[in-house]
Amino acid sequence: MAESGSSVEFSGSLTSSTLPPPRTRIFKIIVIGDSGVGKTCLTYRFCAGKFPEKTEATIGVDFRERLVEIDGEKIKIQLWDTAGQERFRKSMVQHYYRNVHAVVFVYDVTNAASFRSLPAWIEECKQHALGTEVPRILVGNKCDLQDSIQVGTDVAQQFADAHSMPVFETSAKNPSSHGDGSYGSGNSDHVEAIFMTVAHKLKSQKPLVLSQPSGGSGGTISLSSGMNDGGDGARSWGCSSC
Amino acid sequence: MKRLKRKKQNAGVGVNGNGPVTREPDCGRKQKLAEIHQALISDPVDIETLRRAAASRGGLLTDELRRKVWPKLLNINVYDLPHKPGRDVRENHKDYNQVLLDVRRSMKRFPKGMPATERAVLQEQLIDIILEVLKRNPQLHYYQGYHDVAVTLLLVVGERMAIALLDTLSNYHLRDFMDPTMDSTKHILNYLMPILEQVDTELHDFMMRSEVGTIFALSWLITWYGHVLSEFKHTLRLYDFFLASHPLMPIYLAATIVLHREKEVKQTECDMAMVHHLLSRIPQDLPYELLIAQSQDLFNQYPPSLLAKRAALQSRKSLSISTFQAFQLSTLHQRPDSVLQRLTKAQGSTTSRHASRHSGLEAALPRDRGQLWGKGNRIVKMAVWGLSATLGAAVFAVAQTAMDWGPEVLLQLF
Repeated sequence: MAESGSSVEFSGSLTSSTLPPPRTRIFKIIVIGDSGVGKTCLTYRFCAGKFPEKTEATIGVDFRERLVEIDGEKIKIQLWDTAGQERFRKSMVQHYYRNVHAVVFVYDVTNAASFRSLPAWIEECKQHALGTEVPRILVGNKCDLQDSIQVGTDVAQQFADAHSMPVFETSAKNPSSHGDGSYGSGNSDHVEAIFMTVAHKLKSQKPLVLSQPSGGSGGTISLSSGMNDGGDGARSWGCSSC
Repeated sequence: MKRLKRKKQNAGVGVNGNGPVTREPDCGRKQKLAEIHQALISDPVDIETLRRAAASRGGLLTDELRRKVWPKLLNINVYDLPHKPGRDVRENHKDYNQVLLDVRRSMKRFPKGMPATERAVLQEQLIDIILEVLKRNPQLHYYQGYHDVAVTLLLVVGERMAIALLDTLSNYHLRDFMDPTMDSTKHILNYLMPILEQVDTELHDFMMRSEVGTIFALSWLITWYGHVLSEFKHTLRLYDFFLASHPLMPIYLAATIVLHREKEVKQTECDMAMVHHLLSRIPQDLPYELLIAQSQDLFNQYPPSLLAKRAALQSRKSLSISTFQAFQLSTLHQRPDSVLQRLTKAQGSTTSRHASRHSGLEAALPRDRGQLWGKGNRIVKMAVWGLSATLGAAVFAVAQTAMDWGPEVLLQLF
């Protein structure tokens, strides 16, 4: 994908990770959904803080990451942005389902077909042994295109409830900060909020994965987090819309 | 690694040590041009010389030559090109939506200075040529990235010739990628690690440990690097090379690129994400001539058959590989364009109205596209872009003449 953009995203996280990261936890999140729903835009937006000028079809899998701080702890969020075309997911993307900590399903609110595909994507996850114990969220993208909405919030909410996941409607490109997509202005924080919600959720979970700077001898850290939500009480972790 | 290093030194001076490859220092450009022209007018066409020219330093040098040589490399008669697709090509095609989606957002593939209106015309042509080829070949399935190949052809040779080239490429070099599933593509990717293993075991082991897989090279392979290179001239250089080579050559180049970045790779954290990230971002300043020469060396040293044996790659049937020899043989008996033109005309011609009109203009050589944009009025240019390229070249010839004729004449050609 766009070479230009990616260096920006990455250098950001590189500089911040030069401080000794003995135990930076990594949250690996896979982003899936039909072709053209805006997976690349969403992940780019979160990692680079702006809307990409041009995105092209993702071929195979693209990787982006960002270092964030949650409750004083530095956490690396890795986003795996996948190709939407069916043929890719069948034999190519499998490799990237391994050790995933969370799944973000994306559909396009202006494209009913992309919403109808969701059960297939959910099934896909199941086949890769990603069950309901893995946090999953649903994102309806492009809600800035008010005039061409095909998937209503209520329908999406129902669907999300039935699958015990929270749903967010958002726009990776938001109308208020058009043009050059200036950093974090207006409700651009919305995309941020979505991924941060996932990160918080993951942080509050028990089994922890450590990055292995060298030895990888690891061990598990027990977290004394203030948050405590039992198991998959997904419904309780909120919904917002734009 | 030892062997490769030796090769690096050689390649720096000129591509030799590889049998019949022409030495091509800078002053050899003129000579190369002469050789290519000579090969084109030989009867039968001297396809070996053309292949060598396409692979050796500098490739085919100019777009004008590409319009002449690419069809020969693919055994295409430029006097008998497919018709411009009609509107019906877009009707009821299962891949229509996907193609539309991918082409409409592929702005980056077009030259930077190109006005949006011209780009839009080309994008519509691109949709048409892709669907046309898919329609003619129901056994072929569209994949994301196919549009990157198609656009490269379109920008150089124009609509009608692009259809012919893409059709042949899809049935041979790209055939494996166009199966209903990507299992065959995966199989081709599986050649990558064994090549690395032969040259640099340490690097190979490092990559295995990181579990990086081979998907970082997927877009390189299935778009012939068109998707990842930002300089169009580099893409063209590689297309010259691949059009003249074995269908697995893009994988050998992938291996060469990884080997070229060996130090960087080994210094990275041995982790899937890190290695994938590093490798999938292809540096834009790669020494292409050197890497091309090295890929050829690798190919000669470790041909696919040998790798398949050593790496115990399951003997999956690859159509691209199994049909390659027959394809190469088919290119041996081509007549030069002057003869083809006569013959095709004499046949009473299945060629279109466009073709015969254009062919008279063939003598006039095309100008470069860049120059074309610089002058003339918009309407004429739009008309030209909308035109089907009978001879690729001829369109541009028309464009020049059209400045005098006026747009009415052009419109009659549609």
